[in-house]
Amino acid sequence: MAAARKDLLVNILKVIFLAFICLIFILPVYFTFSVSISSKPRINAGAIIPDFYAGNWIEITKGYWKSGIINSAIVSLSCMIIALVISIPAAYAFVRYRFMADKHLFFWFLTNRMAPPVVFSIPYLMIWRGMGIWDTYQGLILAYMVFEIPITIWILASFIASIPREIDEAVLIDGYGTRDLFFKFILPLIKPAIGVAMFFAWLFAWTDMFFASVLTSVHSKTLPAQLLTALGKVGWGIEYGPAAAAGFVTLIPGLALLYWVRRYIVKGFTFGRL
Amino acid sequence: MASRKLLIGLLLPAILVTGFAGITPMIALLNYCVQTPFELRTTFVGLGHFRAMFHDYRFTDAVFRSLAFAAIALAIEIPLGLGLAYLLRKPGMINSIITALIALPTLFPPVTIGMMWLLMARKNGPLGMVMDFFLSGMFDPFRNATHAWGTIILMDVWHWTGLTFLVSLAAVSAIDESYIISARTEGATRWQIFRYAEFPQLVFPLTFVSLLRLIDALKIFDEVYVLTGGGPGLSTEFITQYIRTTGIEQWIIGYASATSLVFNFIVLILSWLMLMILTGGRGLIE
Repeated sequence: MAAARKDLLVNILKVIFLAFICLIFILPVYFTFSVSISSKPRINAGAIIPDFYAGNWIEITKGYWKSGIINSAIVSLSCMIIALVISIPAAYAFVRYRFMADKHLFFWFLTNRMAPPVVFSIPYLMIWRGMGIWDTYQGLILAYMVFEIPITIWILASFIASIPREIDEAVLIDGYGTRDLFFKFILPLIKPAIGVAMFFAWLFAWTDMFFASVLTSVHSKTLPAQLLTALGKVGWGIEYGPAAAAGFVTLIPGLALLYWVRRYIVKGFTFGRL
Repeated sequence: MASRKLLIGLLLPAILVTGFAGITPMIALLNYCVQTPFELRTTFVGLGHFRAMFHDYRFTDAVFRSLAFAAIALAIEIPLGLGLAYLLRKPGMINSIITALIALPTLFPPVTIGMMWLLMARKNGPLGMVMDFFLSGMFDPFRNATHAWGTIILMDVWHWTGLTFLVSLAAVSAIDESYIISARTEGATRWQIFRYAEFPQLVFPLTFVSLLRLIDALKIFDEVYVLTGGGPGLSTEFITQYIRTTGIEQWIIGYASATSLVFNFIVLILSWLMLMILTGGRGLIE
């Protein structure tokens, strides 16, 4: 009887603890949304319940907010496509061929992924200015490639490695060319990995603020960098409403895709090895 | 050799792009770090910048702060992630919803997370109000260094516990039950089961995720920059922000290049360690 009561108590504590955790994890997201649909006096009063004011969302469809959203979409989607096109063949090569210094090359790719963006930012700023690609889409995309190609290569490589080599041999013996092998057999087999790799290639460009704030100024400023600019005006009173709305826009893809990617998050952050 | 041609064709785009955008910056940094480029007079200073670093208190303090921050964040996130994994390991509708909720912040842009916690920690945000209630109106993360640190740690825990939790969850679900059953028949207590039957199977993933989090914690910039801007004073200025301030804002390129090379070297060694652990020293590709 005492044991049963103790179990009940433990279970109640468990539920309370988990409810508390849920509250903590939901609250910032809810509060940001709530601020984004509140009018200015209500935000300043610190109300938890919004008054459904649409002005902030209308504001971010105009001017620099609008260009930030468009730039973010252009940069992150082109990064995703370019990174995939470059890294699918490379991943296949790393898995199927042995060549000089292959392991060193692979390791070097991965260390790029782990390198701190701040280290690259100073030389990028100088070199990109010299090459005239500072504040352009190309420049930003090129900078992101260093970080995206390694992660996509690793995700794809760990997947391609699970396809038996005999399939390649059988296909080639049956008289198909290398191109057929690639497009008709390998690509359909690694479809799920391509989805995961696409998501993480896209995620890096979508969430990055560091390079965007250093390498762009007017023409190609992405939404996170625009957000930083808006939040940097501390002394002049930050316009919290539009910033919260714009910030919420950056969260929407994560919220929308969460259900689909939740089982791949570990793969994405741990290079598909765990 | 058709296959050699094919191999080069497969690899060349990746090597060209990452080679250009990955190696030229390093060459440029090596070039800058021994000079005073983009200043009034460009002079060769040899290893002068590296020597100056040890006497630059702002730099050493920033390094120390980064390490302290990483240590505190890890000390909270790893046990919390593991504990949550134990609580939520049974498959079920409610558990998977909570799992998804905890994982959610890992997909958010760091700068937005900084903004969310800025909204939360203001005088009239929920966190500010709750903390004001406990500290009788004295909570001010923008003027009090301790409160600023507390808020930053809370923010980082909120952001990254999802990752340690997901890795722990995968590890906990993969525990070989036969060890636990035999330990239980031997009459082991719950703690003994954890310590001697379960923990040895969790060491590998936990070590890996600790290193990953350590590297990411050293690289933290966006959230803190938005939330406190390194303040009050310099009390939350981390190594990344120091490099950015000296290099990009104050335009002292030579010295900033030297500091960033040192920082990169530290991260490189940690990454090497992490990748070796991840692959058990067998090399990265079979």
